[in-house]
Amino acid sequence: MINTVEKIYNWENNFINYKVTYDDGKISSVPLDEANTDYQAIQQWISEGNTVIDNGE
Amino acid sequence: MAIDKVTSAGLETSTNQPVFRNIIINGDMSIAQRATSTASITANGYHTIDRFNTFLTTLGTWTQSQSTDVPTGQGFAKSLKMDCTTADASPAAGDRLMIQHLIEGQNTQYIKKGTSSAESLTVSFWVKSNKTGTYTAEIYDNDNTRQISQSYTISSADTWEKKTMTFAGDTSGTLTNDNSEGLILQLWLGAGTTYTSGTLSTTWTSVTNANRAVGQVNLADSTSNEWYVTGVQLEAGTSASDFEFLPVDVNLDRCKRYYQKSYSYATSPGTNTTAGIMTTGGSAGGFTTGYLSGSIKFEKIMRASPTITFYEKGGDSGVCSRLKVGVSRTDNQPIATESISDNSISIYSSGTADAGSIDVHFEAKAEL
Repeated sequence: MINTVEKIYNWENNFINYKVTYDDGKISSVPLDEANTDYQAIQQWISEGNTVIDNGE
Repeated sequence: MAIDKVTSAGLETSTNQPVFRNIIINGDMSIAQRATSTASITANGYHTIDRFNTFLTTLGTWTQSQSTDVPTGQGFAKSLKMDCTTADASPAAGDRLMIQHLIEGQNTQYIKKGTSSAESLTVSFWVKSNKTGTYTAEIYDNDNTRQISQSYTISSADTWEKKTMTFAGDTSGTLTNDNSEGLILQLWLGAGTTYTSGTLSTTWTSVTNANRAVGQVNLADSTSNEWYVTGVQLEAGTSASDFEFLPVDVNLDRCKRYYQKSYSYATSPGTNTTAGIMTTGGSAGGFTTGYLSGSIKFEKIMRASPTITFYEKGGDSGVCSRLKVGVSRTDNQPIATESISDNSISIYSSGTADAGSIDVHFEAKAEL
């Protein structure tokens, strides 16, 4: 289960992927690829009213 | 496997059976990159056997394992085992448990689904359980929200039985020719009334949940219950051919389109080890407390850009080790991806330990 989602930016200030922390403590990088099922799960998680952490670049 | 000839239908063996006729990948359960046993399963996921997903909605707690209990004399060495460790004898309406195999749409275009020439599909597998009774096999069309089910019976407790079912071709609902999920083979192990209260839909139809798993026994009703499966084959046509055994390297290679890791084959991600660890990157001027970068090329192109989980040498996720080769390794250092594609990742560590390169394990997941 997703615990937190954070937008990750590269040094050129481009939003490049999501950092996801799961309930079991596992941390993963999820690409911005609509064919990725974890990306799909994040979009579902957002649509359920959850908030993505966005600290900018 | 002797290749006899090449026809318009593909490679054929001396028995005139097309090679790669089995739509299922790893149907002999021989590949288990993540783990050979996982306990306390209460949620969806790929837990042990590659390409076989567990779909679980609050219906018991399970240990899943790659078992050596197989049907005698059939050539199989491994099976998938589900062992109930916490029972749920009274499922809520929406509860369910299935073993799924999700298939890319582009891999089944030749069955011509959604046309007047749609091919029948035949499912065959070996199954064994102490829990006798009626079970359900379902083919689900995720592109068009259509499905077809058939029930099968486990007649004798604790005895391997081969089951074969032929599903008619579906003249409605074409499968999208892409890398997303098209058909899903689903072997039901338990279901609440949401999925059992109607009449089993044994012809292709738009999904009505109540008709999907009518009569399905509840494998979760006792901690004594176990269920094994192997030799899963899905093929075009109205009859089941012999199971298509593939060399282990071919089988593993096909699984790596969906999942790869840096660890040795038999080592689960998160294990404290340097075996297989990726050493990458470096600084232009020797050691630095600042940025280190590098890239990792996957062993083969993956289905999509994968989700990446990094592990430092000790096994913690989301971090790396920074390395002074021959001098020191500092664990729990930051790591991030600069880019992720279907064939590589570009990585960097922003600091802080003085080092010359990055030491990191990874797993890459592009499952359906």
